[in-house]
Amino acid sequence: MSALKSLVPARFLTLTAHLVIIITIFWSRDNNIQSCLPLEFTEDQYRTEDTRLTVALSVTLALFVLELAGFLSGVSMFNSNQALLSLITHSSACVCLSFFVFHQWPCWTYWIIFSICSVFPAVVELFLLLSQRVL
Amino acid sequence: MADVCLRLQYACPWQSNMAAHGRQPVLSSTPLQILFHLNGWYFAAFFVAEILMFIYKGVILPYPQDNLILDVVLLLLFSGLETLRLFYGWKGNLCQRSLALFVSVAILVPCAVLSVYYLLLQTFVLRLEFVLNAVLLCFYGFELVLGVMTISIFSRANIY
Repeated sequence: MSALKSLVPARFLTLTAHLVIIITIFWSRDNNIQSCLPLEFTEDQYRTEDTRLTVALSVTLALFVLELAGFLSGVSMFNSNQALLSLITHSSACVCLSFFVFHQWPCWTYWIIFSICSVFPAVVELFLLLSQRVL
Repeated sequence: MADVCLRLQYACPWQSNMAAHGRQPVLSSTPLQILFHLNGWYFAAFFVAEILMFIYKGVILPYPQDNLILDVVLLLLFSGLETLRLFYGWKGNLCQRSLALFVSVAILVPCAVLSVYYLLLQTFVLRLEFVLNAVLLCFYGFELVLGVMTISIFSRANIY
């Protein structure tokens, strides 16, 4: 029973850690954009990649708001399936995004991390919210 | 919420006894309790992260000795104040005591000042520190609003 009770703070902390890393990447996306462009790039190419990464990060933040709303309003706070899913996906996202920042992975890898670790738990959260007839 | 009811039973047995007999409505604020619970865990993680960042900063960056000692001592003071604040808030909310909750809100002020110090005014501010302190200040904002509302609810109620 005590293991079940500690799912709530563990889930909250991994969610917050993922959010913190996303905000940090938002702030310092210059390096990552330069690593996915060829060695000599034009201003236009830079701006295209910049816009793409900014859009990806903004959508991630929006999905975060959805997940935090579901968690903090209590709809899925004690649902252990969603808690485990959230825990696993967000902690793996934290690890992958740390690699993304430190090893300067190219931009397209962000979309993979985004689809597995942000979209998937947010969709399940949305499903839970709808099934509770909150939205 | 089952968790909050369990806490009420352990923290204030006479309160939960009276609530169970249906004589008094339970006025404790559940959102405030959730915020205190999560804030406690978040601050523990924040403290560990700050200690590690100070070790990192102390090694990499050119710190004058006095500033580093000041920052570390202020961090220890911060953790003490925060523990006190969360304890008073937790007990005050569960036992429906206005005074304890008021002390908690009063200690929130120096805690917020310390958080702003770590956000803006310390010698070297890392981006990660900025974000972590911003999240902590969001917690404080919500807890301030909910705390003041809960104090007014407790003061208005007729107990005994």
